[in-house]
Amino acid sequence: MLETYIKKYHKNNFQYILVDAAGKVIETDNHIIPIGNLTQIQEVHPFFEAFSDLFFIKNESYDFLCINLDFDKTSIIADITLQTHNDNKNLIIIEDLTKHYNNYQLAAQNRNESLINAQILKLKNLHLKEKEQFKNIFIANFSHQLRNPITALNIFSNLLKDTTLDDTQESYVNVINTANKNLKQSVEGILDISKIEAGKLILVEKVFSLKALLNEIINEHKLHITKKNIEFNFILDPKLPEFLNGDSFRLKQIIGNLLSNATYFTLKGFINLNISLNHIRANKANLHIKVSDTGIGIDPKDYEQIFKRFTKIESTIKNDMSTGLGLSITQYLISQMDGNIKVQSEIGIGSVFTCNISFKLATSYDKNLKEVLLHKVRKRLDKKHNILLVEDSELIQLSILKIIAADGNFFLNIISNGDDFISTIMDQDVDLILLSSTIQNYTAEELTKSLRKLSKEYKKIPVISISSKAFKEDIKSLKKAGINDVITKPFDEETLLNTIHQYLK
Amino acid sequence: MTTSKKIVLLGHFGVGKSSLIRRFVENTFSEDYKVTIGVHISKKTIDTPDKKTISLIIWDLEGHDDVEKNRASYLMGTHGFIYVFDASRPVTFENLEDQLLILKTKYPNIPVKVVANKTDLVKKTEINQYNDIFKPLVDFYTSAKTGSKVDLLFSKLANELI
Ligand SMILES: Nc1nc2c(ncn2[C@@H]2O[C@H](COP(=O)(O)OP(=O)(O)OP(=O)(O)O)[C@@H](O)[C@H]2O)c(=O)[nH]1
Ligand SMILES: [Mg+2]
Repeated sequence: MLETYIKKYHKNNFQYILVDAAGKVIETDNHIIPIGNLTQIQEVHPFFEAFSDLFFIKNESYDFLCINLDFDKTSIIADITLQTHNDNKNLIIIEDLTKHYNNYQLAAQNRNESLINAQILKLKNLHLKEKEQFKNIFIANFSHQLRNPITALNIFSNLLKDTTLDDTQESYVNVINTANKNLKQSVEGILDISKIEAGKLILVEKVFSLKALLNEIINEHKLHITKKNIEFNFILDPKLPEFLNGDSFRLKQIIGNLLSNATYFTLKGFINLNISLNHIRANKANLHIKVSDTGIGIDPKDYEQIFKRFTKIESTIKNDMSTGLGLSITQYLISQMDGNIKVQSEIGIGSVFTCNISFKLATSYDKNLKEVLLHKVRKRLDKKHNILLVEDSELIQLSILKIIAADGNFFLNIISNGDDFISTIMDQDVDLILLSSTIQNYTAEELTKSLRKLSKEYKKIPVISISSKAFKEDIKSLKKAGINDVITKPFDEETLLNTIHQYLK
Repeated sequence: MTTSKKIVLLGHFGVGKSSLIRRFVENTFSEDYKVTIGVHISKKTIDTPDKKTISLIIWDLEGHDDVEKNRASYLMGTHGFIYVFDASRPVTFENLEDQLLILKTKYPNIPVKVVANKTDLVKKTEINQYNDIFKPLVDFYTSAKTGSKVDLLFSKLANELI
């Protein structure tokens, strides 16, 4: 009974071949591969060459699994068994498992492809990251090197301006001044971008007077705008709070960027600055800032583009000085302050940039407040104080000497290397130390630490570091070492004197 | 009379074992990746400098990250190994030294050629970056895609087998 069914349904996926000790085919059932009698089995497929040596080993069995066999007309994947005998008759059994192995192949295909793709993606990301890192380090080093010359240029062109100059000379100095300001701005912009990309641009929170800040901004820009024969109107909402708590430097940068941008692209007409209070909620003031101009305008399809790095919509103005970083930094800063910025514009008519930003309200008891207000006052001091400058850049030495001499409140002593630091302090009366962050062989941290280790009276001497590193963690590390304050290069006369006066009263 | 020699290609999956063989045997190349399962065997006859013909039986094995995962029956009777890795993917050569040590221990008398493939994908500087890992071990820098050094690899090995 069963026999008949087995005969009917028997899967005929086996082929049996009998070969002699040399591999000559004696008999074959040809169920899978047609092979003529007397053929050398090695000629059928190169796989069988592997058997040549095995035929001589009697009464052994060898299994070869998953062998791909390609012939002219067909391809199969089979398990092959070789059974040798001592009568020189060797049996080869081929079991065709193509279907089974094809399923296995499909699974392996999927697994390998996805593994390889994941590896390649990881490598690409790694590569990108390395490139990014290299770029950021490069930018940081490069802007670092520009700091000393920019500081000196800034200070000396200002000093030169205060000497007696004829009109031509004065106009030359003004050109130098403006060019240097632009240069400084570009370097700071590039540094901001590298900080943004490294995730190191961090907003600070400090109480500031909004009114004073806005006045400062308006005064700075009024000159530039009216010089181009463009009308400048500003409307400040009387409801604006007096004091806010936040990053005033970055707020100034945001408004300043929008105004500079408007000035740059407007040839005639007007620029309006409007600042109003949207609302006060949960102790936060939401400001509405609007800058409108009658400039060249922006095509709506470029709206997104203008906030991207290093892009600038084609301008009709030659002598292009700006790097086009301003708007992308502005947008980033606003987003960090949880605000938003929008642009509306028409080619040939003008543009309107509007943004909304929230700031914490400052209570009048805020302890920082006093500092803010005092900051502005620089008095004549009762007696002349001794300042020790430790700095190895001659450019900076000279710049500081000039500023301090002009102020008239201080004696300045300069040393250019760290070896003499402690002995100088022990020998002389020193009321304040200006310490460069990079002196040969020493770090400002090391020098300050060794100073603070001396007796009590030396612990109190204020130390102000003049640093060319501007990252937050650099400043943190300086302060941790016992440094009272940090001025970053490039700095100007105002900042230097204000900081010194703050510590010497 | 022609002698036949069995050459086995080993290495991680996707490093280009099948592609190197296809380049050597048929002088073609495909960007498509068809995963090999089990083994494919092909044959090519070449002439040696001293006018002998030698028939190379080339076993193209399924890729594994560890040579010990290969079926022992495939490695039986091997005359020469080619260990291939992908110069553009570090995972395929990070364990290179161990792998070669295993081969040397298990098959002390069988020559092994070490091949850095896909050199068309990597710049010289990138190869230099990994020099410490594989430079002293590599015998050939090949590309199955461009054909660079592929014939040389097989003929050098063949000559060592006679
Ligand atoms: N650019 C480039 N691609 C290559 C080269 N060699 C192989 N490839 C590609 O790499 C992929 C894998 O090649 P295969 O030859 O199938 O690799 P394999 O080592 O046989 O892989 P398994 O059979 O899974 O072990 C394919 O997409 C090939 O086109 C090469 O030299 N250069
Ligand atoms: Mg393959």
